[in-house]
Amino acid sequence: MGRYVIRRLLQALLTLGIVLFLLHYLMALSVQVRGNPALLFFGGDRTPDPAMLAQVERLYGLDNPCYERTGDPCLAPFVDRLQNFVRGDLGTTLNGNRDVAELLSIYIPNTLRLFAFSVITLVAVSMVLGTWAARHRGRFIDHTVRGTTILADSIPVFLILLTYVYIVAVPLTRWARDIWGTESFMGQVFRPSYNPDYPWTTIIVPGIIVGTVGLATMTRLIRAAQLENLGSDFVRTAKAKGLKPLRITVVHVIRNSMIPIITGIGFLFAFMLSGAVLTEGVMGIPGMGRMIFQAVQRQEGNLVIVGLTVSAFVVVVVSLVVDLLYAALDPRIRYE
Amino acid sequence: MAETMRVIGDTLPGVDRNAPLLEVDSLRVEFQVRGERIPAVRGASFTLEQGRTLAIVGESGSGKSVTSQAIMGILDTPPGHITGGRVLLHGVDILEQDEETRRTVRGNHIAIVFQDALSALNPLWSVGFQIGELFRVHRGASRREAKRRAIELLDLVGIPDAKNRIGHYPHQFSGGMRQRVMIAMALALEPEVLIADEPTTALDVTVQAQIMRLLKRIQAERHMGLILITHDLGVVADVADDVAVMYAGEVVERADIYDTFKRPAHPYTKALLRAIPRVDAVGGELEVIRGLPPNPAALPSGCPFHPRCFAAEDVCADEVPPWIEPAEGHGSRCHFAEEVYTDER
Ligand SMILES: Nc1ncnc2c1ncn2[C@@H]1O[C@H](COP(=O)(O)OP(=O)(O)OP(=O)(O)O)[C@@H](O)[C@H]1O
Ligand code: SF4
Ligand SMILES: [Mg+2]
Repeated sequence: MGRYVIRRLLQALLTLGIVLFLLHYLMALSVQVRGNPALLFFGGDRTPDPAMLAQVERLYGLDNPCYERTGDPCLAPFVDRLQNFVRGDLGTTLNGNRDVAELLSIYIPNTLRLFAFSVITLVAVSMVLGTWAARHRGRFIDHTVRGTTILADSIPVFLILLTYVYIVAVPLTRWARDIWGTESFMGQVFRPSYNPDYPWTTIIVPGIIVGTVGLATMTRLIRAAQLENLGSDFVRTAKAKGLKPLRITVVHVIRNSMIPIITGIGFLFAFMLSGAVLTEGVMGIPGMGRMIFQAVQRQEGNLVIVGLTVSAFVVVVVSLVVDLLYAALDPRIRYE
Repeated sequence: MAETMRVIGDTLPGVDRNAPLLEVDSLRVEFQVRGERIPAVRGASFTLEQGRTLAIVGESGSGKSVTSQAIMGILDTPPGHITGGRVLLHGVDILEQDEETRRTVRGNHIAIVFQDALSALNPLWSVGFQIGELFRVHRGASRREAKRRAIELLDLVGIPDAKNRIGHYPHQFSGGMRQRVMIAMALALEPEVLIADEPTTALDVTVQAQIMRLLKRIQAERHMGLILITHDLGVVADVADDVAVMYAGEVVERADIYDTFKRPAHPYTKALLRAIPRVDAVGGELEVIRGLPPNPAALPSGCPFHPRCFAAEDVCADEVPPWIEPAEGHGSRCHFAEEVYTDER
């Protein structure tokens, strides 16, 4: 088990290294093709004094001649960047010269909160619906669940978001404030936008909306896993033991269906990242998704690299956790 | 014994102490497959007495497993449905009972051992948990009590080092040991009827004999009724008291073990017996029953065995044979049961 974890950690490190290099290469290409982002420092339009431009270029590590040669992977700046990252120096932004590490300390918690709520929503709702559909296979409930989840899945997230923000949120908020007051929990939950004074409460609804991404996929996955187990020999044994259907489902079906479910969550995580970009944008949440989006818009190469590395790191960690959960759930993997 | 009867009276009202332990009467099971109703069991009848072993034999697909699942109440419904007949436990028709009572019957009164213990045990729970679960659910036992009882049971079925093995998972046992676990689980609540559906088919030969000995020993100790479903007529000859032969979903012959082997009254049984490889028939050709088992969706008319029967006459294709008893307690569903019995055919 210990050796397994170490092996997986080394793999994760390698993956991150490769991601970092690819990001760096893309950034270098964009500089080579699109032009010098250091100009942004001066507001973009004006032509700066060459001496000052050179100074800014040096400051942001853009002074290397490789940035002039299209296609050059710019290895020397890559090594510099790695060294800086290892030292804990994540650099500063071109616009406003802000410390990237400090920005992350604001953005990361918000996105984590958003993910926490959306994972809870996704798992809870799809577990209940998938189990329900499996128990009533081929009947009305099964078809209804399938129809509804596919509908929920095929409506783009931004449409749900816009509908919520412009149509539902305001009357709901007013209604909740009239009953419980502005400062109450309920008074904040339905707000159409993020409120830094209530970083948890105002992220619940956006989290739930992101959680609907992949609901149909997840529900079908759970339904299929449970059906497979419901028809299995050990469930027949459980019936022969005189167990109640609920106990059979909880003890002998759900746990056995967890493996595809965990796989599904790991897989849907990538989708939820894109859901997060939209949601954070529309609902004004200062999170990683919005940060990366804006960084791309503003040609903040370094910020893009840091942001995407963080998200790659999260994906790697999630897949590591998924593998460890497999081992925890299934003794056949544990005792390999 | 006294304690067993008290339990029966508590959980199954209306028991008759003089009635046979288990009586299956004209049981019918149909499967609904793509809108069609396919009969898998078409009137199975047999009786099991306390302390006796009833062997059910017959080709693959003859409905042996479906019969046992219907008795247990664990048919896959849908597609399977019991469409007729009675299953009397101590004279009480358990098919008529509510679901609550039926659950009590499972495990407490009737238990089953399946063929493939590897798939019949849940791979994610320790064997101790899976055995102990019975005590916790049916007897309200605590975790510790359940564990203690599970260890006792593993001891009983001859698993060495039961104390440590209790925490192991099914895949950590050998085939024979796994089947012992399965048997321990079936025995947990001291059922009066044990159904063993091909309990040794998945095992290698030396282990098969050990498992059969174990089953017989425990049956004798507990005075249980045992229904043994098997393809192996050698095993039947060793352990059974009575035999029911199934063909195309029907019990076509029923007799005690002696009569079945000495004076079979159904051509199908006769053919089965001839198909046993014999050590004394040096160089003799092994006979097999010609033709294929019938398709349950399109059974031959009259006697379903007629296309393959060496004794068939014209009447066999037209008329369903009646149940004939050429001797007391020995019945056969064949137009010529008497002649086959007396070996004139
Ligand atoms: N779940 C099911 N759905 C449809 N048909 C079924 C199902 N289970 C069993 N059957 C049918 O019922 C018939 C009897 O099957 P059963 O399993 O009882 O045979 P068996 O005598 O136990 O054979 P074997 O010796 O191979 O175990 C078969 O024709 C089979 O196709
Ligand atoms: S009834 Fe006819 S076909 Fe059927 S078993 Fe008897 S002899 Fe053979
Ligand atoms: Mg079978």
